[in-house]
Amino acid sequence: MSTIPGFNQIQFEGFCRFIDQGLAEELSKFPKIEDTNQEIDFEFFLERYQLVEPLIKERDAVYESLTYSSELYVSARLIWKNDRRRYIQEQTILIGKIPIMTSLGAFIVNGIYRIVINQILQSPGIYYQSELNDNGISVYTGTIISDWGGRLELEIDRKARIWVRVSRQQKLSILVLLSAMGLNIREILENVCYPELFLSFLNDKKKIGSKENAILEFYQQFACVEGDPVFSESLSKDLQKKFFQQRCELGGIGRRNMNRRLNLDIPQNNTFLLPRDILAAADRLIRIKFGMGTLDDMNHLQNKRIRSVADLLQEQFGLALVRLENMARGNIYAALKHNWTPTPQNLVNSTPLTDTYKVFFRLHPLSQVLDRTNPLTQIVHGRKLSYLGPGGLTARTATFPIRDIHPSHYGRICPIDTSEGINVGLIGSLAIHARIGRWGSLESPFYQISERSKGAQMLYLSPGRDEYYMVAAGNSLALNQGIQEEQVVPARYRQEFLTIAWEQVQLRSIFAFQYFSIGASLIPFIEHNDANRALMSSNMQRQAVPLSQSEKCIVGTGLEGQAALDSGALAIAEHEGKIFYTDTDKILLSGNGDTLRIPLVMYQRSNKNTCMHQKPQVRRGKCIKKGQILAYGAATVGGELALGKNVLVAYMPWEGYNFEDAVLISERLVYEDIYTSFHIRKYEIQINQGPERVTNEIPHLEVHLLRNLDKNGIVMLGSWVETGDILVGKLTPQMVKESSYAPEDRLLRTILGMRVYTSKETCLKLPIGGRGRVIDVRWVQSSKTDETEKTESIRVYILQKREIKVGDKVAGRHGNKGIISKILPRQDMPYLQDGRPVDMVFNPLGVPSRMNVGQIFESSLGLAGDLLDRHYRIAPFDERYEQEASRKLVFSELYEASKQTANPWIFEPESPGKSRIFDGRTGDPFEQPVIIGKPYILKLIHQVDDKIHGRSSGRYSRLTQQPLKGRAKKGGQRVGEMEVWALEGFGVAYILQEMLTYKSDHIRARQEVLGTIIFGGRIPTPEDAPESFRLFVRELRSLALELNHFLVSEKTFQLNRKEA
Amino acid sequence: MVREKITVSTRTLQWKCVESAADSKRLLYGRFILSPLMKGQADTIGIAMRRALLGEIEGTCITRAKSEKISHEYATIMGIQESVHEILMNLKEIVLRSNLYGTCEASICVRGPGYVTAQDIILPPYVEIVDNTQHIASLTEPIELVIGLQIEKNRGYLIKAPNTFQDGSYPIDPVFMPVRNANHSIHSYENGNKEILFLEIWTNGSLTPKEALHEASRNLIDLLIPFLHTKEENLSLEDNQHIVPLPPFTFYDKLAKLTKNKKKMALKSIFIDQSELPPRIYNCLKRSNIYTLLDLLNNSQEDLMKMEHFRIEDVKQILGILEKNFVIDLPKNKF
Repeated sequence: MSTIPGFNQIQFEGFCRFIDQGLAEELSKFPKIEDTNQEIDFEFFLERYQLVEPLIKERDAVYESLTYSSELYVSARLIWKNDRRRYIQEQTILIGKIPIMTSLGAFIVNGIYRIVINQILQSPGIYYQSELNDNGISVYTGTIISDWGGRLELEIDRKARIWVRVSRQQKLSILVLLSAMGLNIREILENVCYPELFLSFLNDKKKIGSKENAILEFYQQFACVEGDPVFSESLSKDLQKKFFQQRCELGGIGRRNMNRRLNLDIPQNNTFLLPRDILAAADRLIRIKFGMGTLDDMNHLQNKRIRSVADLLQEQFGLALVRLENMARGNIYAALKHNWTPTPQNLVNSTPLTDTYKVFFRLHPLSQVLDRTNPLTQIVHGRKLSYLGPGGLTARTATFPIRDIHPSHYGRICPIDTSEGINVGLIGSLAIHARIGRWGSLESPFYQISERSKGAQMLYLSPGRDEYYMVAAGNSLALNQGIQEEQVVPARYRQEFLTIAWEQVQLRSIFAFQYFSIGASLIPFIEHNDANRALMSSNMQRQAVPLSQSEKCIVGTGLEGQAALDSGALAIAEHEGKIFYTDTDKILLSGNGDTLRIPLVMYQRSNKNTCMHQKPQVRRGKCIKKGQILAYGAATVGGELALGKNVLVAYMPWEGYNFEDAVLISERLVYEDIYTSFHIRKYEIQINQGPERVTNEIPHLEVHLLRNLDKNGIVMLGSWVETGDILVGKLTPQMVKESSYAPEDRLLRTILGMRVYTSKETCLKLPIGGRGRVIDVRWVQSSKTDETEKTESIRVYILQKREIKVGDKVAGRHGNKGIISKILPRQDMPYLQDGRPVDMVFNPLGVPSRMNVGQIFESSLGLAGDLLDRHYRIAPFDERYEQEASRKLVFSELYEASKQTANPWIFEPESPGKSRIFDGRTGDPFEQPVIIGKPYILKLIHQVDDKIHGRSSGRYSRLTQQPLKGRAKKGGQRVGEMEVWALEGFGVAYILQEMLTYKSDHIRARQEVLGTIIFGGRIPTPEDAPESFRLFVRELRSLALELNHFLVSEKTFQLNRKEA
Repeated sequence: MVREKITVSTRTLQWKCVESAADSKRLLYGRFILSPLMKGQADTIGIAMRRALLGEIEGTCITRAKSEKISHEYATIMGIQESVHEILMNLKEIVLRSNLYGTCEASICVRGPGYVTAQDIILPPYVEIVDNTQHIASLTEPIELVIGLQIEKNRGYLIKAPNTFQDGSYPIDPVFMPVRNANHSIHSYENGNKEILFLEIWTNGSLTPKEALHEASRNLIDLLIPFLHTKEENLSLEDNQHIVPLPPFTFYDKLAKLTKNKKKMALKSIFIDQSELPPRIYNCLKRSNIYTLLDLLNNSQEDLMKMEHFRIEDVKQILGILEKNFVIDLPKNKF
């Protein structure tokens, strides 16, 4: 059996490819720079470039918000060729910094972990398809896709005329394109197989005569120029550059695909579209039209390629070198003009390269902030595949077939792990064993079954190839060689499922998890779950919060170990040695004559505000082997991933408190800290080091709010802070204008004799919902701003301990999720026959319609495992060994548990898995036996504390004057159309009016309300339209439409215009 | 559930401990029977006892820890293997036994290196530790670990917001639940006319199952004692139904507040007809020669009640109106 490849390996391999090949490849493209008088030559030595080990440690980079990067040095040569000085100057020069991948497979840019995810693109080349046009006639097209995603379509119509479409515009004759490319009619006719078709075409269109005309027409189409452009040499050049070189560049892969599809032998280094390609493509199109040749499947993985970190970084490096080249040119010119002596180093500096990467990591859509909710999230993130991003698709326009599962995904892209919502099917996940092959193809391993070699031979196959083998599907094994029926196995062959004899099988899958991603392969009994629910589960496991005390799952799949190991959450011995000191925050290891200091992560914040913490697991004086686990991280126990807790669960209704997936829990989960998690929040304030000052004397505020500040005005370490408390006291000087206050404000100030301050308090206050213990305070100097305006920032880290509470979201591993609806005292919970109260009550109606039966298997087996003190690791698809294997295992374990613990109620033969349980309030048994079990339940990051929100007063949107939305902005709840109907339906006119005026965008009315609250009296009824309506009227006016109303006097018939 | 035949005298109600076991110092088990019971009685007692055992029994726990050197709960101390939070969690687990009322102090004062266990806790004489081997911390360096502890006896569990204490002490969310689990089962005999009640009790060692049974029944009896009194007591609960829903002092209280706020002379000049009273109340007041607010305020609530046709709702209404109009009696200015 082969081992599973490291989960981060995809990222590491990509980065290594960039460092080993990508750099050299791009550097080799760097031209020799000559100045105009050909006096100086500047060039790089390709073979000599060096990356220097980063100056700072990974951990320090995070702490100090720096970029973890290494400097790139290249040997450069400057040759003086003029007569006075004729010599060569060589120097190793610094051309910039390249961010370096860390052991997590991510980069650290400005102290933030960022990961570059793989992009999956249509491979450049030509694809033949048939489509039905508007009249229901099938039209054959050949689409040429260029390296960056541009399209050129060849189309053959009913009369067998061939047209060309450039980026979905009006179609052109193929002859125009070919003429524009520089062929004349004779050359065309000589080089095609079916010249008569071209000839007939020629008769239709007389006007294609010269190359000039063709170029003109083509240019008109391509550039959408109005009028009649006049042919000129520059126009021709422009077309050459913009179209044939930029839009039609095929690249290496594209050239290879074209050659293969069209049976051409154009050399690999010719990466542009040639007239020969078009001619061959047209020939093939004609043949396909007449039923010869096959169409292509665009969604086949064979026609896709992966653009990994290597390609993205290499592309950026190329861009940076172009900038560097321009800089060098400019500097050579300047040096000669101003007569200073250039050296290789002062011709270039490090800004182009460093800046290019900075911009790339900050702004590129595929460079994402590494999600670190829990260890699983970290590794899964690096294995994502995205169809989105530059050169790819957009989420809104992607069609259904692209998002769908394709048979070629088998063993390469996980069929279930994708995001929900608009990106469904566009963001996928790599299967466990998949690797990226040479041409950016995804490869999957198989065992070859052959007569000659007994030992199984493993081979990696690219997407196009495994279809032509008989691949045993692996859901049933021919175990018993003697029995005839078992010699027949299900197999895949050419995207079909067949049942064939075992002898005919050529390949078989190597591993039961082969076609799943990590998230999906952590689901036990996945084969009993509906794929939609498995999808939710693989997504929700990534949202699980590390708990303060983790627990291994009783029922697992066996992949937990590697998931934890590869996640980087554990501290692992890099070499063997002996522990000679351990502490809470470090381990000292001596070996090979030197000591190794392993610092541990202590209550650190992840970017999802969860807490990362390592606990040492080795004693002093112990000898350690290489690779041994020294400390467990968050959500890992015993070197295994431990995201949740095993709790006693009953599936039954309970007073409606589990209606619609709600979950009833016992108080035990609260007071025993079963689902208690730590959350660390970061609060930051910028300090403009000129006028602003940090102080603890803030006269504007009450002393009570300032109680936690030390004498410098920063919150003290270890103090407990609540909402509204000041974390950093800061004063900003201000020119006070008396009139700047609102009138009532001014009045109040006068009445109460409040002082007018010369400075404004701009303190950092703890926002709503924030409370906890201050665990760290940092001063950070921001390095990126100019020297003139030095800004500093203070960061305060606050740790919060959160018990589970009503409104939190919990989920199992089968997509069974719910919200806590009520917390009951343990004596009120239903209890088992031995008096044990259950911990959670799930709704049984949540199972049948969702078709995630795996949860039932898991909970029953979990109960058995808990009683027998056993842990089960079950590979999926155990049904291939025998019929109903899962059920048999669960029942036999339950039976054994019932026998061993002498509790007959655990396994009752008439209702296996179910047991009679009692109501805790009355002691009466429930009417029906109830499924009880111990599944593994996770607490998810969606917690009420982060979401609960109400608004009494707050800011309004500038334009519409309606309350802002969103909790972060202290926004209001939108009273939408349907809510208005509800109020109308109840006839509560005044409440509706209040919603639409005082509480929303009627500026005058809402000010009057303020006044009324202060001075008393009736709240006046607003008479005119609210602000958003006035805005609407003004918008209409800007379209020259006047909307107004007039009052007509009954007596004088005078019009009285009212301003809306 | 019955495994052995037990002979019980059928005459008087008797209880007996039929099985007891100590799995460890912190897990005690006991099984009790009560018999003979009439049909249905076992269920009545059983469920009440189970709930009382689980919910009503008091326990002793460490509720608070204090140490000079620690800056916060999540800090690390040099030379100690555990973080402060882990030590607090370990202290939470410690099982104590006491006959304490209220709170008392205890402390830990240990010098390393070595393990700190429960037996290092210095306790007042009326509190004792159940399991001396319970781990607290392990010191790896010769340092001194000094922790001041607060011990409390209480019921249920507490989750405290630490903000109320700024003295550098850290709350431990204590769980005062000595009974781990309780169960009851019923065995009937004599054609289902008589029943035996089985009670199973698991405790955490701070009291034996037998003691738990005693305490639970005592707590249960305490709750039932009010019913034993032959005469109904004049609880405010019952009074309220037909006398006064207002607590007697609020009226004065509020009036006093108002009087403080405003000068008396102002009150004199305000007539009650300004205050938008309903006509009926207005007439009532008029008849009793109350014209100004000052007059009104000079009457106590009882005085008002003595008036003809004056009801308790009216007093409330007056209060409401006074509060609304009186505090804000400025002329209503139109904006």
